[in-house]
Amino acid sequence: MSSDVTLGSTIRSEWIKFRTVRSTIMGVVITFVLTIGLGALITTAVRAHWHSMDPVRRLTFDPVSASLSGILFAQFAVGVIGTLFITSEYSSGSIRTTLAAIPNRLELVWGKLVVLVASMFVVTEIACFITFMMGQAIFSGVVPTASLSSGAVLRTVILAGVYLTLLSVLGFSLGLILRQSAACISVFTSLLLILPIIVFLLPQSWQNDISKYEPSELGHAMTSVTAQSNDFGSWTALVILSIYVAVVLGVGTTMLIRRDA
Amino acid sequence: MIKIDHLTKRYGKTLAVDDLDFEVRPGVVTGFLGPNGSGKSTTMRIILGLDHPTKGSATIEGKRYGELRDPLHEVGALLDAKAIHPGRSARNHLRALAASNRIPFSRVDEVLEFSGIGSVADKKVGDYSLGMSQRLGIAGALLGDPGVLLFDEPVNGLDPEGIRWIREFFRSLANEGRTVFVSSHLMSEMAVSADQIIVIGRGKFITQGSVDALTASAKGTVFVRGANHPQLLAVLRSHHGVVNEVNDEGLSVSDLTSEQIGQIAFDAGIALYELTPQRASLEEVYMDLTADAVEYGSTGSRHE
Repeated sequence: MSSDVTLGSTIRSEWIKFRTVRSTIMGVVITFVLTIGLGALITTAVRAHWHSMDPVRRLTFDPVSASLSGILFAQFAVGVIGTLFITSEYSSGSIRTTLAAIPNRLELVWGKLVVLVASMFVVTEIACFITFMMGQAIFSGVVPTASLSSGAVLRTVILAGVYLTLLSVLGFSLGLILRQSAACISVFTSLLLILPIIVFLLPQSWQNDISKYEPSELGHAMTSVTAQSNDFGSWTALVILSIYVAVVLGVGTTMLIRRDA
Repeated sequence: MIKIDHLTKRYGKTLAVDDLDFEVRPGVVTGFLGPNGSGKSTTMRIILGLDHPTKGSATIEGKRYGELRDPLHEVGALLDAKAIHPGRSARNHLRALAASNRIPFSRVDEVLEFSGIGSVADKKVGDYSLGMSQRLGIAGALLGDPGVLLFDEPVNGLDPEGIRWIREFFRSLANEGRTVFVSSHLMSEMAVSADQIIVIGRGKFITQGSVDALTASAKGTVFVRGANHPQLLAVLRSHHGVVNEVNDEGLSVSDLTSEQIGQIAFDAGIALYELTPQRASLEEVYMDLTADAVEYGSTGSRHE
């Protein structure tokens, strides 16, 4: 007789859990509001002040990243979604029920990961495409616009969603390690906001070497149409960020397997 | 059948479970009794593969929990009734559980009705009383129709009607040939709901037996009231009687029968006003058995 507990049944179970709590629904709504709402606000402001803008800035203006600037805020919302997907199991104690039903802990991580990545990819890509198109519509006639028919533009919009999806997995992985929502969110925020400040305090020559490795800087590289000086190219940035996330996920999974629940 | 084989669990410096070794057989309700912090919950967590044993093992029908192919079909457990995401409805909680082991959703409706929470199944679990949560926990344990059932302190929070219901329910599960293992820190509860009792204290095995055998093994005491208590005390002690308590009212004596005490007092010329044999209650047996365990229990009882 083959086992009833498979990756498929684990995914199905985790999908039910993921969509039946308010925090997920709220997180998704906030992701949309932050990405699209702030995108609308910023593009409208740019359009209004376009003619008074510094000519040099007008020349280097990137209408794609400008329309996607809401992801700077949305990245925290997706991090929280990923974190809570596992830490809420610890805060409520339901992790024990979960592990009694799915004793193979590696399979549990895979199941949760599939649910998280699939749903966050869909959500963030929809949000990024909407905010991109809305931003171009707001710019049109005044500010130069970008089109998805350009490969570089399409890549940038897609990678913006990929960046947010990776950050939700980072939040989830931190959750596996730390188990507590507050601790995870502090670490997550520090990595994205405080790390650049610390690097900024270092000597200039070091900064140039180090800052491009910051998660937020990798995100910047992934969501820029043209490569920025001192930054990696967008594909290289994607690979480096993926390695970070994979390492944290690997540590978290090992800890889940080794520790008492 | 559950087999606990020289099981030891250490958390840092705390020895939560110390070389436990026993079996829980099918067809009877087995009570798992011990003061708070004695290692009952730790043992149950190890049975469920949640905590890793330091030494020894716990197996179900010869297999460790992690080796079970269909865990919910083989073992049903209720560890902590409140350990459910408070924002999820009971129905969704059970559906997620059912989906993980490919149990049809129709079974979810069945166990909800059986547990008496069918009418509130779509309410958030966070709004449930402890009693309702216990019923939901029981519904979850029954989901896969398992042959082995574990309940950790299941009567906590239940009203008298619920307690009666759960006792009959345990009995019927055992009568169906299932293994039913129920922990409690209350002897009075186990005395009425269990057939077999395993007593532990400070992580160590203390005793095991039927409820009747445990009561029978209890030492009775005799209450004596007489004319001269100090003299009575001295003469009883000289006959190897153990005097547990002396006050103005009288003496509580063990290791001597009331016949022996009467004869000793008569020989010593002390008039007796009262001579009452006192049978220890199961509760007293338990208190007696676990006295040491309670005394030291408070120092390291973080992991109950």
